[in-house]
Amino acid sequence: MKKMHILGIIVIAVAIGVILTSLQSSATYSDFTEATENPTTEYHVVGKLNKSIPIQYDPKINADECSFVMTDNKGVEKKVVLHKSVPQDIEKSEQIVLIGKMKGEEFHATEILMKCPSKYNDGQPQISES
Amino acid sequence: MEKVSYIGEHLWIGQLGHGFVVLSLVAALVASIAYYFHSKEGLQNEWKKFANIAFSIHSVSVIGIAATLFFMLFNHYFEYSYVWQHSNKEMPMHYILSCFWEGQEGSFLLWSFWNVVLGNILRKTIDAKWEGSTMAVFSLVQVFLASMLLGSYILDYKIGSSPFILLRENPEFANLPFVQNENYLAKLDGRGLNPLLMNYWMTIHPPILFLGFSSTLIPFVFALSGLWKSDYTTWQKSALPWTFFSIMILGTGILMGGAWAYESLNFAGFWAWDPVENSSLVPWLIIVGAGHVMIINRNKGGSLFMTHILSIASFLMVLYSTFLTRSGILGKNSVHAFTDLGMEGQLVIYVLTFIFLCVLLLIKNKLIKITYLVLSFLLLFLAILIGHKVSILLSWSLVTLGVTIYSYMKFFPKEAEEESLYSREFWLFVGALILLLSALVITYFTSIPVMNKLFQGWLYESEKAGIKVADYNQWMTPFAIIILFIIAIAQYFKYKNTDKKAFLKTVSIPLGLAVVFGLSATIPLYFLKDYSTASNTVKWNLISYALLFIVALFAIFTNLDYWVRVLKGKTKRAGASIAHIGFALLLLGALISTSKKQTISKNTSTKRVESLGEDFNAKKSLVLTVGDTLPMGNYLVTYTGKKREGIDVYFNMDYFTHNEDGKLVKAFELNPMVQDNPRMGTASNPDTKHFLSHDIYTHVTYGTLSDTQKARDDAYKEPTNFVGHINDTIFASNAIIRIDSITTNLSEEEYAKNDSLLIVTAVLKATDITGKIYRATPQYILKNNMVMPDEFELNELGLKFIFWKINPNEGSVEIQMAEKVNNVKDFIVIEAYMFPMINLLWLGCLIMVFGTTIAVIERIRLNKKTAEAV
Repeated sequence: MKKMHILGIIVIAVAIGVILTSLQSSATYSDFTEATENPTTEYHVVGKLNKSIPIQYDPKINADECSFVMTDNKGVEKKVVLHKSVPQDIEKSEQIVLIGKMKGEEFHATEILMKCPSKYNDGQPQISES
Repeated sequence: MEKVSYIGEHLWIGQLGHGFVVLSLVAALVASIAYYFHSKEGLQNEWKKFANIAFSIHSVSVIGIAATLFFMLFNHYFEYSYVWQHSNKEMPMHYILSCFWEGQEGSFLLWSFWNVVLGNILRKTIDAKWEGSTMAVFSLVQVFLASMLLGSYILDYKIGSSPFILLRENPEFANLPFVQNENYLAKLDGRGLNPLLMNYWMTIHPPILFLGFSSTLIPFVFALSGLWKSDYTTWQKSALPWTFFSIMILGTGILMGGAWAYESLNFAGFWAWDPVENSSLVPWLIIVGAGHVMIINRNKGGSLFMTHILSIASFLMVLYSTFLTRSGILGKNSVHAFTDLGMEGQLVIYVLTFIFLCVLLLIKNKLIKITYLVLSFLLLFLAILIGHKVSILLSWSLVTLGVTIYSYMKFFPKEAEEESLYSREFWLFVGALILLLSALVITYFTSIPVMNKLFQGWLYESEKAGIKVADYNQWMTPFAIIILFIIAIAQYFKYKNTDKKAFLKTVSIPLGLAVVFGLSATIPLYFLKDYSTASNTVKWNLISYALLFIVALFAIFTNLDYWVRVLKGKTKRAGASIAHIGFALLLLGALISTSKKQTISKNTSTKRVESLGEDFNAKKSLVLTVGDTLPMGNYLVTYTGKKREGIDVYFNMDYFTHNEDGKLVKAFELNPMVQDNPRMGTASNPDTKHFLSHDIYTHVTYGTLSDTQKARDDAYKEPTNFVGHINDTIFASNAIIRIDSITTNLSEEEYAKNDSLLIVTAVLKATDITGKIYRATPQYILKNNMVMPDEFELNELGLKFIFWKINPNEGSVEIQMAEKVNNVKDFIVIEAYMFPMINLLWLGCLIMVFGTTIAVIERIRLNKKTAEAV
């Protein structure tokens, strides 16, 4: 067998490895219901902040923890405990992605990604009166 | 609706700009066709002159577009959407360039501009033999880039996005009231450059990165010409200096991006494997591979197919990256993807067109060529007419893959002899292959959103999420180990074959040194921590990081040895050795600063959340109240206050350390900033103290940006209720309060006999921070079985108490306490890290760029020498 063939086989093996890893990896976008069913698995849950319930953050007690209520895309509402300091502008977010798992009735998240509204990003032309 | 005649608009300049866009597109198309015929009809013909004129017109037009846009920005023509969106009147003039390329249209223009610069150098310096074919492909790329600025509609489909659209014609704003005001311009100011981008990085990073993207085009056009002319070797000599130029400049651009992120973004590191970062790294990895296989080809011949694949793939990956980052497909996967301009379909078409072109040129049989061409167009029309785009795209991809493999087997020249394991070309080839493979793995993971779009609901149900930074690190470490190993040994091999004994003898000393140094540095680390209960991932990382450390040292030692001993210390010829030392230092710095990164801000909270797993136990946030001094790493740190400058709020922190006499002295101060950005909300900007051996990095994650409101200072906040007994303590923010005693004016019997008035007094002793004790005596007054409201104000401490309830059964009392607003001192929450040895990383970057530059100069010199010899 030629050395190039061995290299070829290695390349194919790595490729299969990558594909299998990513197909098996449980990192999928999901919702609270699925996360509740599998409390040991980590999920990315997409949803919206419930802005009517205040965000709890007391750095004097624990600066690495804040909690709020999020409604997932299926309309299920859960209390979220984020194990980080409170993200700035979370109250302005229009979509949130949380990475974490369910524990009892609470979703415990290690990471958060937020999208802010584009209107807020862009602003609009206004004629100043001054 | 009545037509409004607007005052003060400069419509001519937009028309001029748009005219330049159209002219640049037409001229590039004409140039492409003319160069095609020039290439077809041999060296001297009329087509050449014609093509050169067309390309010159194209060049002048592109410069004209840029000049027009620049003129508009400079003169604040806010009637134009691009000018309004990206600049304003207050902005300092030196940011004008940043405004120029802040938007998508501007960055496409920057790209096109660099292509024009490089294209003209290429056409002046290139061998006449290759001029027609390379410039034909080059001009075709320029046609596509010019169309990105067109902004015209063809059959309801918008092609490109023009920077010369009027504000009032921008569909986003067309219904706003200002459109009805004929004199709107007199009072209009621009939105301005995003304040987050108002720094020197934004002035230098984009032009260098885009020059890097542009430079990948040259190896691409050469490789395509090679396929076209069925001359697979001779182009490589001319392409080699260009390829190394590309490695140098694109590498600089990427590293600058890392430095920018490290200096002024808050993800506490220099690389986050964000799709935007990955999409510049992938073309670089591939072009590095391309450069190295070209060297094989120059010295010994061979590796032909690999050279073509890599030279082509690098540019195609730049196109694919453009699609990823600008089509909006990354959606929730990236924080800094560009906004969607609705060019998704167009960008896909571009990527596919160039893949199609490569395959078409590879086919040498007319019948297959025509069949493939017709089939491709049929599928395209089918996709337009009946939809089912995904399945059509997949079938086309399969056909393309099949045709490529068949054409390679059938038409492409192959090497007869097998390369020896002890030859330089073998290891260069393996190195290039590993680079390509690592690039593909990164691309695969970055493309997860694309796969969701293609396969979700068909191959799998739930939408896949991207992988994390730690996963990327884990995937890439083995690749880095192999690459460094090859970097270490490859130079000692000769082409064709090497004496084994001599090789082993030369390598054994640096290898021995690296192993001894490496093990003595890494083994003690193992005993610092108990790893017996660690997870497999942690153990795996430990081993792979130790290996990476040793192999990086090995690569540094061998390349130093090669430079000093074999090349006799001659810098001119040592470009490769120097660049490799730089690369190894870079990875060494990245390894040490990432794996030994220390969180020095320690959360002192007693709340434990370990039951959820190690990930959940972050403990990296430290609360600093103004005036307090807390230990942090080897320092004591004080938050002394904040200062507002425009929209930037700086938090001043003093770092103290003990001097030789054991006295506390101020070591340095840091001013991490939080920007109250009107366009993005708050943005945190770290501050870092650089030492030779390490950096102290600090950023504010939570802080109040406004000054505590003066007017409300004297007001009380919402009271809190305490239930307690005698001797219990209540904590206020500025004092500790003990319930000393509770007295009544009447005994229980007396009260039972005569129910007139009961007064119960709680005696509270409040101790403030200085130890001074104050007395407070709130009273519980019961008159005719009614509780009378009574407040006790302790003005010295800004506290108010209401004794409102007695629970006789529990023997407890309930007291409400309210604090004045100004009792609560300003505080911030910070994260602070120590990055050890991060300077190795930056030093490595500089050395690598320096080495590559030497290599480029040397390659140009060698090419000139051989040209003269001929």
